Amino acid sequence: MRITAEAKAETRQRILQTATDLFQSQGWQNTTTREIAITAGIATGTLFNYFPTKEAIVADLIADAMKRAGEGFYAAERDANSLEADLFTLIWSGFSKLREFRNFLGPAMETIFSPLARSSAGSPGDAIRADHLEQVDAIVTTHGFPGPRSVVAVQLYWTLFLGVFAFWVEDDSPGQEDTLALLDRSLSLFVASLGMVDERKTQ
Amino acid sequence: MNVSELIAALPEDDFSSAANAGLAQERIREILADLAQRPVPTGSLHRLWSVSELSAQIALAYLAWWIRQWFSNAEVSKRRQMETNLRVALKLFHRLGYLRGAMAKVGQALGNLPILVPEQVAETLDRLHAESPPMHFPLIREVVRNEFGKGADELFADFDKEAFAAASLGQVHRARLKSGESVAVKIQYPGIARTIDADFRNLSALLLPLRLGKDWESVKGHFEEIRRMLSQEVDYLQEAESTRRARELFRPEDGIVVPNVYSEYSGTRVLTTDYLNGLHLREYLATNPTQASRNAFGTKMYVAWLRMYFACMPYGDPHPGNYLFLPDGRLGLIDFGCVQHYGPEERELTRLADRMSHEDSSLMQEVVRRVCGVSPEDPAFPEYLGMMEQSRDWMLEPDDHPGPFDFGDEAHFQRGLDVTSRVVRNRTMRFHPMYIYWQRSVFGLKALLLRLRAQVDVHEAFRRERLALEHSN
Ligand SMILES: Nc1ncnc2c1ncn2[C@@H]1O[C@H](COP(=O)(O)OP(=O)(O)OP(=O)(O)O)[C@@H](O)[C@H]1O
Repeated sequence: MRITAEAKAETRQRILQTATDLFQSQGWQNTTTREIAITAGIATGTLFNYFPTKEAIVADLIADAMKRAGEGFYAAERDANSLEADLFTLIWSGFSKLREFRNFLGPAMETIFSPLARSSAGSPGDAIRADHLEQVDAIVTTHGFPGPRSVVAVQLYWTLFLGVFAFWVEDDSPGQEDTLALLDRSLSLFVASLGMVDERKTQ
Repeated sequence: MNVSELIAALPEDDFSSAANAGLAQERIREILADLAQRPVPTGSLHRLWSVSELSAQIALAYLAWWIRQWFSNAEVSKRRQMETNLRVALKLFHRLGYLRGAMAKVGQALGNLPILVPEQVAETLDRLHAESPPMHFPLIREVVRNEFGKGADELFADFDKEAFAAASLGQVHRARLKSGESVAVKIQYPGIARTIDADFRNLSALLLPLRLGKDWESVKGHFEEIRRMLSQEVDYLQEAESTRRARELFRPEDGIVVPNVYSEYSGTRVLTTDYLNGLHLREYLATNPTQASRNAFGTKMYVAWLRMYFACMPYGDPHPGNYLFLPDGRLGLIDFGCVQHYGPEERELTRLADRMSHEDSSLMQEVVRRVCGVSPEDPAFPEYLGMMEQSRDWMLEPDDHPGPFDFGDEAHFQRGLDVTSRVVRNRTMRFHPMYIYWQRSVFGLKALLLRLRAQVDVHEAFRRERLALEHSN
């Protein structure tokens, strides 16, 4: 029997929904892939066809949120904003879409985005990184900083981004206002560093 | 420092232009080189941090200067140990102060205490006032959303994305309510309020064990007062309440307007009030106003100040940014973040000091005992008595003067500065914490009236306000 694309999408959606429910109700650590499969009413083997690990499920949530943030960014009517303001809009909108998952993102991120893990092309963390950096690169370019970006500039951005992300996950200040401030400062720093590179070039 | 320098040093009341900012930065650089004796960082990355960084350094250099005074009498070994503790405390504080605005606010508060701060430093801190870097609109939107669940563009009928003025911890935008009113929306940079509070608590915790001699209890009280007022200033809900109470004090015939607060559009980090379309002092002076016009505005400033004082809610921060000169001759009064609310103890001390000044000068000993906590047996008592007498005489100069008093008289202001420097020199610095902000309030008002060169019939204003007060009681 051939499984239609719709059926596939439907199963995938069911797994995501079941998994987030379980992560939310009983915590990330206490949930096993087996349990997810049983609750979703599928065989464990089938689950692995879709998501090889628990982390892959969360990575999918993150990737999806960031993708929608990117689409929303271009769909929205925007003012003549500064580069900082544009990047802020993109990132904060991604966070907002992930807000309901905040309580279990932290432990999952440790694996997905471990700075020490050997980056392997095709790992879920890598795909997210590549997609997000592409979005950022496009925005930076429209603000008059043509590529290609130096490895250092890219890594600086990614380090700041991950730092802010990790901070946001744990931020219990009212309205996550501390993350608002941290993101604002981090982006100023990043944009200033672009300027510095430029200055150095022209000297 | 002479008076004309002091006038020049009053804060600029326009939204700092690039040129102004550049000048101020230059000045800070000079002073810092002097104070901290180390080069000021330059370069794009450093420039980003420079405002909070520089004001932090100034505040620290000042704190060090101030605190060191307290242990200059200790034995050498003890002093060395205190110096070490102090250095550690300051270093730590410096690190805590990296967030934009927080230290600037602390520094600014210190700079506004002429009784404590060296003039040169005060001047610099004043200039830092309107220089916190602006927030872009997406950030504004989120701060507003945090308060009201809606972004600024949904909440208001119109919202100007560019700020029209800087506030010390944020910025002010023009907007129109859905009901049509034109308003000013003051928005605070996220997280600042909590930082200031934490920084101050940490600093007190670090300084507490130093126990700086017999004046320490008094210093501690002053510290606590500054902390209390700062945490009040950063809470816009409290400012809204003070604004409402101030608004009730004035009638149309006073020609003094306090803007209406819109509670549904105000919260801890956002304050929405009627927009007042007026000129700042500097712009007003640039129109070459007549002496009569200056006197009229000056009298309103004085009356507003006096009325709030009599209502036991003195206006703690009379600086140029907080007064608007309306085209129809009315005076607009804004920014009630720094208003004290006197409790029973402060009210009683105020009455006592008033009676000493206006009815019975033999109460002076009693005032010294109560206000300064210095008993007649204390060897410092005569010093304190002398200080109290000089302060009172200076305070009463305008009141004792028959007819309009000319606040444009630099000599009067200079005498006030002299009294203050004597206080610092003789180290008669024990006094009730309520006077920290009261001093700032008096000097602030007189500095403004000096700049306005206004002649005010203080005696008459006093008489009328007192009469009105007696009627209402
Ligand atoms: N209701 C208003 N109408 C017109 N202008 C206003 C109003 N409220 C604020 N402003 C403008 O914004 C500036 C800053 O506002 P405000 O003094 O309330 O801020 P603040 O942070 O309390 O300032 P600071 O503590 O630095 O005095 C004012 O100097 C004024 O130019």
